[in-house]
Amino acid sequence: MKTTLKKGLSSGVVFGIVFIFLLLIGFINVGSTMIGDLLGNTENVTSGHLPVNNLLLMLALMGLLNGISARRGLGEDKWWKALLGGLLAGLISGILAWLAIWLTGTLSMQGTALQDYLPSMDPEELNFLRFYSTPIAAANTYLIYFAAFSVAGAALSWLFSIRGWFTKCWQSCKSGVVNWKGTRNISGVFENRWVMLVVFLVVAVILYFLPILWGSYWNYIMGTVAIYIILGLGLNIVVGYSGQLVLGYVAFFATGAYTFALLTAPTPHGIGLNLWLAVGASMVVSTLTGLLLGLPILNLRGDYLAIVTLGFGEITRILIRSDLLTALTNGPKGVTDVGQPNWFGEVFSDVNYMHLLLLLVLIALFIAKRLKDSRTGRAWVAIREDQTVAQATGINTYRYKILALLLGAAFAGLAGALFASRNQFAGPEDFTLMVSINVLCIVIVGGMGSLPGIVLGAFVLKGLPELLRELEDYRLLVFGALLVVMMIVRPEGLWPAARVKFKKPSEKQMKDLATEVEK
Amino acid sequence: MVIYLGWRVYQTAFGEGTYGPDTWMRFLITGLVVGGMYALIAIGYTLVYGILFMINFAHGEVMMLGTFAGYFVLEVFSAIPAPTAADPNMTFLNAQPVIALILTFIAGAGVSALIGYLLEKIAYRPLRGAPRLVPLISAIGASIFLQNAAQLLFGPQRRQYQNPDLLWRGTGWMIPVGGKEVMLTYTGLFSFVLSILLMVGLVILVKKTKLGKSMRAVAENKQAAALMGIDVDSVISKTFIISGFLAGSAGVMWGIHNGLFNHYVGFLPGIKAFTAAVLGGIGNIPGAMMGGMLLGLFESLGPALLGLDFQLKDVIAFTILILVLIFRPSGLLGEALSEEKV
Repeated sequence: MKTTLKKGLSSGVVFGIVFIFLLLIGFINVGSTMIGDLLGNTENVTSGHLPVNNLLLMLALMGLLNGISARRGLGEDKWWKALLGGLLAGLISGILAWLAIWLTGTLSMQGTALQDYLPSMDPEELNFLRFYSTPIAAANTYLIYFAAFSVAGAALSWLFSIRGWFTKCWQSCKSGVVNWKGTRNISGVFENRWVMLVVFLVVAVILYFLPILWGSYWNYIMGTVAIYIILGLGLNIVVGYSGQLVLGYVAFFATGAYTFALLTAPTPHGIGLNLWLAVGASMVVSTLTGLLLGLPILNLRGDYLAIVTLGFGEITRILIRSDLLTALTNGPKGVTDVGQPNWFGEVFSDVNYMHLLLLLVLIALFIAKRLKDSRTGRAWVAIREDQTVAQATGINTYRYKILALLLGAAFAGLAGALFASRNQFAGPEDFTLMVSINVLCIVIVGGMGSLPGIVLGAFVLKGLPELLRELEDYRLLVFGALLVVMMIVRPEGLWPAARVKFKKPSEKQMKDLATEVEK
Repeated sequence: MVIYLGWRVYQTAFGEGTYGPDTWMRFLITGLVVGGMYALIAIGYTLVYGILFMINFAHGEVMMLGTFAGYFVLEVFSAIPAPTAADPNMTFLNAQPVIALILTFIAGAGVSALIGYLLEKIAYRPLRGAPRLVPLISAIGASIFLQNAAQLLFGPQRRQYQNPDLLWRGTGWMIPVGGKEVMLTYTGLFSFVLSILLMVGLVILVKKTKLGKSMRAVAENKQAAALMGIDVDSVISKTFIISGFLAGSAGVMWGIHNGLFNHYVGFLPGIKAFTAAVLGGIGNIPGAMMGGMLLGLFESLGPALLGLDFQLKDVIAFTILILVLIFRPSGLLGEALSEEKV
């Protein structure tokens, strides 16, 4: 009884606070608009108001979740206990919501300019949140909805727990997700050379035709994703393979982009180098930057390294835009008219460009894969797992760490050159700390050290936000929360790197072994 | 390189046509005021590092939320009317400036302390005992989350602190230096004195009280402290509360002294205060205080001494960080740390 109430109470408080937070950042509005878009229920023709049933649906969903979470981990229970817990959770969160709605509603109806302090609380939106009625009535609706649907959620979760379906289903789903890569009979097929060849050909054909079919908008989005895949692969060598947390990865990206831009743009230097040579030059310069940075600092330990590289990234950006280097880099204005790739004088179309990007992504994937399986890759993993032991086994840790950073920097240089040539522009504000953070998120969310994880991570973190335009404002907020949640729930990432595991012998094998030894 | 820098410093300091002593005095004052704030934030890094061996990357955002809290409290006070016979338009802020300021500081520091407590509870506690990169990444995530939450909640525009008339920005005493007058602003002096007072308070707390004793014990050895009957989790929570409190005070000072702020206000001071903590020797409280003051001075005097643009003052801070970490990773006052703590 006590635990039921306690769970209900804490779930109610958490949901109430989350609701108020979402309300204040304007997400309740955006979320119900999205539900409306999904259901095709966008505008009420007669009144010109936004339809409030989207909002009600959203409240109902939140209430259900609240009820389910209030009963999480309680298992089989008396039915009235379950409902009581749900009711308590719903009431608590409902009362918090009631207070928030009533307070904001009353204040805004009195003419207080809430939006001066809380920008998402402007009268229009608040009117919608009040269902275009009085604050008291609206607040009561919120309370009733939360309480009712929380009880419903608790009832639902109780029903499932009684039959054991829910827990069983959940467990099988969970173990399925954990083990689905481990199913040997499927992955065994992929080890066959001919099967791999066929798969590769099919993928190549699809990749060839996709950019032609899906138009320039998609080419733009997927181009961004491809550039970020290359960046992610590069950072993965540094962070995922060798375990060095580098937060200033953007410095190499910026160096690559600026080298390319300055070598090909008509201003400020007018060198007009051949583009393919310029790409090579960007990679070389980025690598040299990596060497410059890496030689003194790579012996620092993990968290110091993170901060120093972060500082280095910021220094790079400040220097690029400073008056000191304006003559070299064109300062805050950035470099315009950066050269585009061409094939014997013919400038690439977006389709050709996408093909080029895909080709480079495949090459980068191939290189990263071969590196991972090589002696060098194993040395990196050893350093990542335990540097002292790695050193004891005869690995020159310093040299391997530098090598990882140099390779990572070269990848970033390539990505930078592609980025500059695609945008035909390189400006200091493209290279903020957020780029480093984005790439780090890709590597970590995908799974450190895992190549398919990087690709998946780039699609999820760079591709999805482009598609969900309404959520653009919330992207970084979600990134931050995602990093914390991933570290707590699943530090190995969405698609963890497969590791060679030695199977524990089964009990029968152990017995056989024992009898053999006895003989 | 060193010779060149020395020559450069000599030339700017004593050469013809450079800054007069009044300008140097102004730089010195700026450096000390900013240094005091850095020191307060740096203590937060050092306290947490001393106990958990992790960099609380979100510490700057904790300070930022304190700045916002102080701002809102001052806005409310300046809206409450307190008419007197002499001035019917008097507000509570100007009628009772001392009480208003005390309440503002309590609110700012309190909000920051609360955020620090929640941060530890939600983002760091579940990760205790995990490999070292894991809590660091979680801290980076928390930092991004807090920064963007503040942007979404309060908007991206810059806001201005509503100071009481007593502490109006740009007013102060005139001190004659070398024939010219240099202004010692009231806000600057106020911030500096308050930061010194807070630091003294912290030292007393750590050295004299039971809580301070248990904090030192936990920093020394968690297991042994637990065996002596110290509740390690609660000590860690309290450490986060104290460091949040100091950061929040620094945040309100920042607002009162500089006036303009937005949701990025915590980022650079956070990084620089970390630099200060490393400069003094991380884990070492007097080191953090000294490092903060030194960094403030380097930052305000450095560009002038080296004859560089003031745009580059952030570069100086970061360069110092890199140089300290390369040549003396244990900091100026730090002892050499054992491998386990490193």
